[in-house]
Amino acid sequence: MLLVSSKLADEKVIVDDSSPESTARIRVVFDKGKLVSVEPSSTIVFAGGG
Amino acid sequence: MLKPIVGRRLLLAAACLVLLFATIGQAADRKDRLTDKEKRAIDYLVHDWDEDYSATSVDLAMYAVGVKQSDETRFHIGSYIKQHPELHEVTRRWSWVTFVLTADEKRIARALINAQRDAKPAPSIAEIAKAVGASDDRVKRALSMLAHYEIIKADPSVGGAGFRVESRYLKWEPRLDFLFHTVTLAGGRKFNTN
Repeated sequence: MLLVSSKLADEKVIVDDSSPESTARIRVVFDKGKLVSVEPSSTIVFAGGG
Repeated sequence: MLKPIVGRRLLLAAACLVLLFATIGQAADRKDRLTDKEKRAIDYLVHDWDEDYSATSVDLAMYAVGVKQSDETRFHIGSYIKQHPELHEVTRRWSWVTFVLTADEKRIARALINAQRDAKPAPSIAEIAKAVGASDDRVKRALSMLAHYEIIKADPSVGGAGFRVESRYLKWEPRLDFLFHTVTLAGGRKFNTN
């Protein structure tokens, strides 16, 4: 999230991911630092943090 | 009459041993020797890891430098990284496992780890395939790769897919060595970050 909102703040960014406890695929799309879409829809995205 | 025969047998055994060690030595040398394409992938990674957020893996480096994807080549490059922790600080910080496995292989490893750690039955290939959203063939290839790296070991007694996770990979909370975030930019660049 820090990367998306700083160094990549002017870019469209796709993040393919998975939570450390899980085996499911997660895809999050950002455009210019803003969250555009998340798959699957049950994904909980925590924005912010230190 | 007995002594010369024993002597010849000893000589033959010694010659065989010399030949055996020479063969193992040659194999070890080959394992440590990279082709030009493999060197390009390593050079790409070392440069990429200099970025303060990069934890890019071998498969993405092969893609970036135009090396044809193959498990064999990826294992060869990955083994080199495992054997050369001096390559870059980032491989020592995150463990070589982070860089040599694909995202699918990490998720497949987690499927086995989660079951074994929670004392549940070992998942079958079909169950793993369903859990990670990959084909049976992809799961079989991933299990083979994990076994080559001695992360899992064939053990038919556990049932399911027939692999047991090595104990050292069950204890690492929260399994940071199987972490990944794969980033794709609009321009086509792909990298991993942790």
